[in-house]
Order: sequence, then structure tokens, then C-alpha cells
Amino acid sequence: MTDVLDNEGLQMSPAVGYTALVLVALCTVLIGIYGLRISRTTGDFYVASRTVRPWWNASAIGGEYLSAASFLGIAGLIMISGVDALWFPIGYTAGYLMLLLFVAAPLRRSGAYTIPDFAQARLDSLLVRRVTSMLVVVVGWLYIVPQLHGAALTVRITTGLPAWVGPLAVVVVVCLSVVTGGMRSITFVQAFQYWLKLTALAVPAAFILVHLGAEGRPITAGGSAFTADLDTTADASLYGTISLVIALLFGTLGLPHVLVRFYTNPDGASARRTTLIVLGLLSVFYLFPTVYGILGRIHMPELAAEGAADATVLLLPGRIFDGAAGDLLSALVTAGAFAAFLSTTSGLVVSLAGVVSQEFFHGSVAGFRRAALLSALIPLVLALLTDSLALAGSVGSVFAFTASTICPLLLLGIWWRGLTDAGAVAGMLTGAVLCGGAIAGSALLGPDAGDRWVVLDQPALWTVPTAFLTMVLVSRATAGRRPASASRVLARLHTPEPH
Amino acid sequence: MQDSPEVPRRVRVTAPRTAARATGASFPVAREMAEQSEVGQLFVASLIRSQLRLALVVAGGFLVILIGIPVLLALFPAINGVTILTVPIPWLLLGLGIYPLVIGCAILYVRSASRNERRFQDLVDDD
Repeated sequence: MTDVLDNEGLQMSPAVGYTALVLVALCTVLIGIYGLRISRTTGDFYVASRTVRPWWNASAIGGEYLSAASFLGIAGLIMISGVDALWFPIGYTAGYLMLLLFVAAPLRRSGAYTIPDFAQARLDSLLVRRVTSMLVVVVGWLYIVPQLHGAALTVRITTGLPAWVGPLAVVVVVCLSVVTGGMRSITFVQAFQYWLKLTALAVPAAFILVHLGAEGRPITAGGSAFTADLDTTADASLYGTISLVIALLFGTLGLPHVLVRFYTNPDGASARRTTLIVLGLLSVFYLFPTVYGILGRIHMPELAAEGAADATVLLLPGRIFDGAAGDLLSALVTAGAFAAFLSTTSGLVVSLAGVVSQEFFHGSVAGFRRAALLSALIPLVLALLTDSLALAGSVGSVFAFTASTICPLLLLGIWWRGLTDAGAVAGMLTGAVLCGGAIAGSALLGPDAGDRWVVLDQPALWTVPTAFLTMVLVSRATAGRRPASASRVLARLHTPEPH
Repeated sequence: MQDSPEVPRRVRVTAPRTAARATGASFPVAREMAEQSEVGQLFVASLIRSQLRLALVVAGGFLVILIGIPVLLALFPAINGVTILTVPIPWLLLGLGIYPLVIGCAILYVRSASRNERRFQDLVDDD
């Protein structure tokens, strides 16, 4: 991939790139420091004292959730696989519908700070807490790595600097803002970044469409933008599509940075309202990567063949507009892309640091800061050692993994009083081993393994039900271990807060 | 920065696990008692059941429509050829059509879930 990007045509003017990157980094750190002045208690630090208003909170959730995979990856995937790629934004959005239906209000009422806190409170078991913590940390690290790959790609294209500068810059900015401000300031930063990301895609897209229309240049090229002739990958099978949708729908439930956001709502009902607004924000956002993907198929199809499809969003404005207009719009999309890595990475680092610091550093603020550094540095090393070709795809595997491990714990923990600690641990480990094994197996087989191995490539359709089934069967077999507090905890999760 | 009277004073930050427990205790005792009584437990169980049923119905309906799309396209590949303003039907459905459906399901759910909770609250308050 790096070789492809040495090509002169795939470079922007470095001045544009530097300006955009420095501006976003500066805004993030400034808002973070401003937040420090109003972040005073542990509650502020971890969950913003649960006093964030639904619109702020929803913008922050959107800002945190729309990652490199959404900002760059979806357009890139539409370039190489056409209509099949549209399942990704659908899954990312509908995941929040599942979250609203099954998790949002009860989880807010649980009063816990992190997923392991919830697991321990519900099942009254330190072992469950440890296993959950471990899984949360693994998921978080795996999810940060593609963000850093996206940063490497963006920095390389926009400034011509070596690829490792991008991940390093993201980690430094994130550590600065997280370590100083905690959750309260992060909420402001994230909310700002949703609107930045939306503007950064919507404004150039509008200019491009109007410009192409006015000059009579092709937008869909009479429909040929949609034909499969441009695809460089094989069509997805029915099994592959359904399995991917299951992974995305149920994986969102278990993402650590998504859950921690729900604790910042004042009560269960506002947690629902927040989620409803999030669904609106995501639906609006995802229209735009699709537009870029379709335009890219007509105006820069060579990117797909060269294996640089993820760069479509960054390069399209410069391809359509010459001179200053092109530079300005390119700077805007670059700023949006950088905001995407920053916000998702900082959200993940905050939630991981919350888990790690309570597990190993006694939950003090100093421990939280040390844990934040640890949570950011390990994925940095992983990202520098690996290379990624399709951002949206690698994020998809993480969703399959959380859907097979943390999702069953949350759903059964919230809705079924029969869950036991033994059942929870058995189910999570079964899901982790099966899904992790399948992902590792498909990575070893390589991308050319063929249709026969799609069961490994998209494992969710069989690993998620297996994890659920294991959890239920082992819980039934160990019914004597049901915590005595189960009824009381369930009542607390589901009854509305008194006013 | 000098602390002025209206600015909240800095507080010593402590382990949140203890803080989380403390918030739990702020739940009103009278209400807790009402919910732990036999009748109260019955009300809670029926609230949980109706919320679960609601969530499953909405999720089920949504999933049937969602999974139905690729199944239909696999069964009747001719649909792929139909276009509106040069845009093929699958692109329109997946790129635009799903999102209003998602939001519609969400609004329906939030309304019904709040109604279930209001009904529960009325029952408990009457008690």
C-alpha cells in the first residue's frame, strides 16, 4: 500500500495537510484543557457526573462512534465491492437500534461505570469481572489499531511524511486530552467532532455535486457507476451478508466506548432519548460516504485497482476541483478524517483506562492517567507492526468478536434472571475462542481462500448463537449458583427512576 | 485560578467503585420496600416481561425486513436490473430506504417503552 501512495498523483499539497492536522489537534487539546477546569470529581472524570444533556451526549456518541472505518472505509469499500458495501453503514446504524431496544435504559440504571462493573454487580462474582475486563481490553486494543492505520494513511497522503507519524500524532494528542480532562472534557471534544466530521463530508460533497451538475460532467455515468463491472472483489454470498449484518447489529452492544457513554445520561428515559437522536445523526452522516463511493467509482476508479480505495474520500475533492477550491475542500476532508481517528481513539482510551485503572490501579485519578497511557501505547505498537488494506473489513471482525462475547453477557444479564457466573464465563470464553479462532484462521488462509472459507471470514452467524446457547445451558446446569440478588438487581434495571 | 464562591470546590477524587455503591443506596427505601413486597415483585416481573416482549417484537420485525432484502434479491435476481433515475433498486433500498425504517422502529419503541413504564409507575404509586 505504501508503494502505491508514492505515486505522485496520490499526493496532496503538504501545506494543506499540515494546516488541517494542526487545526484539529489544536482544537481538541484546547477544548480538552477547557474541560479540565470544570472536571472536579471522580464522577466528572469517569462519566461526566452523569449530567450531560441528550443532544450533547448524542453528538458526543456520534463523534466517538464514527471512526476511520466510517469516514474513509465505507467509501473505500463501495469502490471495491459496490452495493455489498452498503451493509456496513446499515449495520453500524442498526446496531444502535438493538442497543436502544435491549440495553440503553437498563444499563444506565445499573449505576455501574464500566462493563466489568456491571458484570460484577449483576453476578456478584470477581471471576466474571476479571474475564469481562480482559475481553473489554482486547476488544478496545483491536479496535484502536484500525484507527491508527487510518491515521497512517491520511498523514502519508496529505503531508508526504512517513506513515508512522500519523499513529504517533494521534496517540500523543489523545493522551494529552484524556490525561488532563477525563470524561467531561472528552464529551465536549467528541460532540464538536461529530459536527466537524459531518461538515467535512457534507460541504465538499455538496460542492462536488453542484459543480459536476453545472458542468454537465457525469455523476452516475448513466447508471454505470452502479454496475458490478467496477468491483474488484467477488459478490458477497447470502451467508456472508447475513453473518456480517448479525455481527454489526449485535457487536455494537458490546463496544466498550459505546457503553460508557450511556452512563453519562441523567436517567434511563434520557438514555433512550439520546439513543434516538444518535440514530438520526448516524443516518444523516452515512448518506455521504455512499455519495463519495459512487462518485469515486466514476472519477477515480484507478484507486480500487491500486489497493488505495480507502483514500477515495481524501482525494476526490482535489480530483474534481483545481487550485484553491480543491485545496480548501481537501483541507476540510483531511480535518474530518483526523477528527475521526482522534475521537474514536480517545473514546476507546477513556473507556479502557476506566477498566484498566480499576482493575490494577485502585481507581485513583493518577491510576486512570497511567492506565490511559498504557491503553494507547500498546495498540500503537501493534499498529506500527502491522499493515491494513481495508479499514471497514478489519473493524467488522472486531464487531463479530464483541457480538460473540460481551453481547450475550449483557443481553442475558439484563433480561434473564437465570444467568449464573459459571454460565457467563463459559459463554464468553466459548465465543472468544470460536470467534477469535475463526478470525485468526481466515487471516492465515489469506484473502484468496475462496467461498468455502466464508464461514471463517464471517463467523458471527454461528459463533453468536453458540455463545448464547453455552451461556444458557451452563447457567441451567449450575442453577444453584444464581446470585441471591438477581431479582433485586433486575428490578433496579427495569423500573423507572422515581421523580 | 482562584476559587470564587459560586465555583464548586475541588473534591478529593476516590475510587469510583465505592462511589457507585453509594449512589445505589440513594434509592428511596419506601419504594424499595414496595418493590420487594409480593405484589411489588409481581408488578416488576410483569413490567420486565412486557418490555422484553416489546423489544423482541420490534427487533424481530426489523430483522425480518432487513434479512428479507438479501433473501429476495438472491431469489429474484431480476430486481437488480430495475432502476429509478439510473439508480438500481438495491442501491436505493440499502443506501437510503433502510434509515427511515430504523428511525421509525426506534420512535415506536421509545413511545411504547415509556408507556409501559408509566403504567407501572401508576400501579406502584396507587399501592
